[in-house]
Amino acid sequence: MAVCAAIIGKDNSSKFFVTLNPDEELHFQYKVLSSLDIIEDKLATGTKGGADTKELYLGMLLSLETYKIYGYVTNTKIKFVIVVDSTNVVLRDNEIRSMFRKIHSEFADIVSNPFYIPGEPIISKNFTTSMKNIMTGTV
Amino acid sequence: MRSSVSYILSSSTSEPNMSHPDYEQYSHDHASLLVLVKHIGTQLKPKVFSKYFDRISKLASVRITDSTGTVRNILLRYVKEYPVENNDWGDFQTHRRLLGLISLGKYDSQQELNEICRVHESFKVKYNTTLFDSRCILFGPTKDSESPSDENPTSSSSGDSENSSENKIEKYTTPSNFKTRALFYDVSSACLDLENQLNEFVNSLFWVLDSKRVERSREKLERVSLLLAPFEKKDFVGLDMESRNNKKRCTGRMTKHLGDLYLQTGLLAESITYYSQAVDILKSINDWLWLGAAYEGLCAASALVLYPDMQRNVPLQRNASLQEGSPRKSSQTPPAIGLLNKKTISNALIPEEISKKYREAIIHYSKYQNAGIIETEASFKAARITVEQSHALQAASFLQNVVYINLQLSEQEKIQRFETLADLYSQIGFCRKAAFCLRLAATRYVSPQNPSPNWSRCYALMLQSLSGHHLNLDPVEMRAADQGWPALQIQLIQELVVAARRTGHSALATRHMTFLLQTMWPHLNSTEQKELAVQLQSLSAQCEGSPVPLVLDSGLVVPPANLTDIPLCAAFTPKDLQSHLRPRRIESNKQDTGPFLFTPIHFGGGGSLDRRSRKSISKLDFLWVQNEMCEVQLKLVNPLPFELKVSNMRLLTGGAVFESLPETIVLPPDVPTSLTLSGWARESGELELSGYSTHTLGVKSNCRLRHMPVSSNFPPYYKVQVVPTLPILEVSTTFPTYVSFSNFQDENTVTSASVSLYHGESIECTLTLKNISDVPVEMLDIEINSILEHSLQDQIFKWDNEEVQKLLPIPPGESIGVTLLFHSAANFLAPNVAVSPTIPQDMSSGPFSSMSPSIPGGSLPSRYNSSFRSTNSGQSSLAAGLTSLFQQQQLSTSVEAQLKLKYSGSEGLTSEYCRSCSVFLMLDMTPSLQVTNWDVLPAETHSQFYLVLDIANLTGQEMELQYTPTKTMLIEGHESCRVPIPVDRCPLSKLSGLYQELNEGNVDARNEIDVNKICSEHITDLVVLKWHLLGSDNRGVASLKGITLTSRMLDIVRMSPLDWEVKINGDVVKAQEEVTCEAGDCLNLKMSIVNSLQKTLQQLTLSVQFYQDYENGTLNYRMDTRLATAGCTKKLFSSLEPQAAVDHECNVIFFTPGYYKLDIQCCAPECLTAPKINPLISQGHVWRFTPTVSFQVN
Repeated sequence: MAVCAAIIGKDNSSKFFVTLNPDEELHFQYKVLSSLDIIEDKLATGTKGGADTKELYLGMLLSLETYKIYGYVTNTKIKFVIVVDSTNVVLRDNEIRSMFRKIHSEFADIVSNPFYIPGEPIISKNFTTSMKNIMTGTV
Repeated sequence: MRSSVSYILSSSTSEPNMSHPDYEQYSHDHASLLVLVKHIGTQLKPKVFSKYFDRISKLASVRITDSTGTVRNILLRYVKEYPVENNDWGDFQTHRRLLGLISLGKYDSQQELNEICRVHESFKVKYNTTLFDSRCILFGPTKDSESPSDENPTSSSSGDSENSSENKIEKYTTPSNFKTRALFYDVSSACLDLENQLNEFVNSLFWVLDSKRVERSREKLERVSLLLAPFEKKDFVGLDMESRNNKKRCTGRMTKHLGDLYLQTGLLAESITYYSQAVDILKSINDWLWLGAAYEGLCAASALVLYPDMQRNVPLQRNASLQEGSPRKSSQTPPAIGLLNKKTISNALIPEEISKKYREAIIHYSKYQNAGIIETEASFKAARITVEQSHALQAASFLQNVVYINLQLSEQEKIQRFETLADLYSQIGFCRKAAFCLRLAATRYVSPQNPSPNWSRCYALMLQSLSGHHLNLDPVEMRAADQGWPALQIQLIQELVVAARRTGHSALATRHMTFLLQTMWPHLNSTEQKELAVQLQSLSAQCEGSPVPLVLDSGLVVPPANLTDIPLCAAFTPKDLQSHLRPRRIESNKQDTGPFLFTPIHFGGGGSLDRRSRKSISKLDFLWVQNEMCEVQLKLVNPLPFELKVSNMRLLTGGAVFESLPETIVLPPDVPTSLTLSGWARESGELELSGYSTHTLGVKSNCRLRHMPVSSNFPPYYKVQVVPTLPILEVSTTFPTYVSFSNFQDENTVTSASVSLYHGESIECTLTLKNISDVPVEMLDIEINSILEHSLQDQIFKWDNEEVQKLLPIPPGESIGVTLLFHSAANFLAPNVAVSPTIPQDMSSGPFSSMSPSIPGGSLPSRYNSSFRSTNSGQSSLAAGLTSLFQQQQLSTSVEAQLKLKYSGSEGLTSEYCRSCSVFLMLDMTPSLQVTNWDVLPAETHSQFYLVLDIANLTGQEMELQYTPTKTMLIEGHESCRVPIPVDRCPLSKLSGLYQELNEGNVDARNEIDVNKICSEHITDLVVLKWHLLGSDNRGVASLKGITLTSRMLDIVRMSPLDWEVKINGDVVKAQEEVTCEAGDCLNLKMSIVNSLQKTLQQLTLSVQFYQDYENGTLNYRMDTRLATAGCTKKLFSSLEPQAAVDHECNVIFFTPGYYKLDIQCCAPECLTAPKINPLISQGHVWRFTPTVSFQVN
């Protein structure tokens, strides 16, 4: 379903990046990086409002010709970004949300790992497979 | 936003199309009059032109009072280029019409002037359809402004060309067919009335436009002709023009057109009304394109009301502030108007509506493919408004829309589009997006589709996009920050490298590649690392990288990039000098610093409180010496999979002047390699070691410690104190060096000397000190260190210090010899001979034969003693005793010592530094001879006694022993023999001190030892045993130092304080003589005693006793049955004055024959009563007449 997923730290540096097609990784990195601008803007306006900080899901960030980019920010300002093929019309907002929730729980697991140093890029085979599973919807 | 109907509604692309988008437009431009400012001819320099253009541009708005007295604010927009095709869209949006033309040109001759005029005219023709008025600013030759009077009429240039030509010199007149008003100026003059002229020009434009507006507004709306956008012309061919729908279309479009005109002529409120009407009309007939235009007009007018201050760009502002003094009355007034407008104009849109309406307009535009440019421009304008409103997300969506519009554009325009996008994105703070667009623009410059690739522009844009990717060209900051997305950063830098290379900046390409390797190293995989390193090598082949900042034409400074990780430094250790070369402080007397040795309070320094400072780490606790090779040890790791050659490695230093020696090393992959960098400090003072420089992969780098990765934990620099020049001495000895060093020596040792000596032997050693430095040695101190006792050490090692001092100074290159005397001092007395002075029964048991075997030893030496002493005992036992002795003594002892040399000279000496080195001395001392036992015998004369020594030759060679000046004897190897040595008795003068003390009563136990010592020294002084080993020709002297004597021996050794004279039957008894008599004979004993002491002796008891010595250790004193004495055997003398004599006489008769002995002794019993018992006479000191008198009774 999703073609790319990324986890971005609070300093906006990439912590984890996975694409279904590894050749397009750089391509997607540009897209995700650009979407960070929008996340930042949304966060800036969001904190001004202060009311709906509970809502972690940011909704669609960018709609490009071929892809749609969705964002999600944890309370610790860790950003999750999913890139979805825009031809995939079956995918509904709810499914995107549940995808983010799954990623969030996976991420929480990784952070709970005593061998993981928070702030370091995530290098874990298990995590990559489970992320890919979430993306393809096999979980 | 984009509608899919666009392709349906728009016709084929062959339609006339507006193909030149103007990305710089603001919505405010809808209200402005378009003026083209043209540069004509090549005479006018572009710089001058742009200066004038800026000056003209400042006149952005003009206030004009119309006939009704209303003040209109007229906006102006100046452009340098304007495509005619865009002019065609003037009907659609009137602000696209070019209304005015100002051309600038410079001429030197009439011909050139004519040419300028011709070109100007051709421009007028080009924009003929829309042009209202034009001006031609002409700059004449500078020399023509000679007459000041000329200037005013010229610059005022009243009216037409004829007038101006009159004022000019005849030569230069505009051609007669030139109908434009020409303004003549001098380039160098201030052109003071230019603004007035322009004002007047704007006025003329306005009035024409206003008249048109009035004309248009008076037309009957029903009768107006259909206004068309250029591409629409074909669409309406064959349509029923009279249809109601079409009528409405005409009316709607005209209303919108009127709105445009009102807007341009400064009537905002009216224009909004017209636009609103137009929207209503056009909406009803689905005229999307014009509806969009009406919406846009509405938005533009509203924006003008709400945001009158929206500025085009900053540079204009800057210029304005620069020319503060120049007249510009009419400009800079819009703020007041804006406020006014906001109040009066109530029908303007509210801010939220503007973007909404703009969005709608864009959607409508998007339905027409041919309106792509209009749509693009509208998107930009909308974005700019939302930027003004600071709605970043909306702006982003407008900008995003721009990308989707498919336009047939030239590459240049596409690039411009991206650059404008980037600019706007950065305005809304989307720096990443901006960077992305800049990068796209950059790649477009050099894309294969681009017919004229421009690498330098590409490079410039790439540089601008760096910040958006969190890239900073300073590798130090970059590594410290460690931000951004490495994969993208790597790509970007690689592109930057390519761009720089293609631009021809090989230095920059090398720099960027170095930067890439330096900063992105951890993010590259090993193949990439290798590839990039190879690339760097090939790049640097064209231009070598060096650690200096590069300044670009744009003024940007590219900081140096140093490869600190290639090779990686694993260790950086400044080395102390070799121990013997280390400078040391010359110890001087400690200055009195008061009673406080330590104070925790540091006044002023504050150092003690600043515990966190890393100073303590970086300051090294050793010293380096000026002009002497100093070393730093590096451990380098080559992270590349191929051999890396690092050349020209030097130390980077600060502080004192340092000369570094370049090093070259080839590093194998992945193996840590040690390297020593060395150099000389050419100055004394503090030296900072801040890193090292390398030259590898064609790049010179300054690798500073503080820029090293944090993980390596280097201090920012190391500080070493450099002391002034000190000399160096090379030390050598005449003795062979000692191979296996013992633990006694330290690393200070420069050489060693070892020698083997027999006990008592002496040898001279010459120590050669060569000054191999350039400065003289002015101070030299020699001392010996060993574990030996100090006095013994002084015996073994001797040198003449004064002689040494006389040899100073040692000039450079010279050498001196110092003679060192080694003496194998040893105790020649057998250590196990327990001749203890405290043998108790010594006295009581017959002491008359001091060589008697009765002397009881300790349990240990008894066997040996007895066997040795009894001369008649078996040879075997003697041999056995000796064997054990030899076995025991065979082990030679070795003495280890350290000769410490402290020397200094030159400036080092003045600053109280010296060097110290040491020579390891190894003295092997082999036993030569040993006195295994000794005893004293009374000699024939009173003045002498015999010292009988048992001397064992412990060597394997035959030894010639000279024990008196005249007597020698040979001892076989491992043999022993007994020698008697006549020795003068210890004179009383040596002992007199003791006797005096004795009287004073303050004597104590020390005295006996003192006596012993004095006597022992007396013997040591007199007895010299010279030995000579015949086999190896070694000579030596043995001394009896430390010989101990029993008190019995002492009596023999020292002179008796009493002089005896014993007469038997009137004959004086001679020593060693027997008195022979018959049993029953009466012998008359007469003795006289003379006190030879300096004091009076009290209570002397003289006693005479006979006894028999059985020669087996038994003495028999029970003589009652064997002899009888007549007269007293004891006599008491109350006092004996010095030099006074007393006599005693008695007779004796022996009853039975036998061998008798007579012991005559004198007691001083007064000491018995003394509270403090003098050990000398503790048992009632006895002076005997020696030798004892023997009687052979037949």
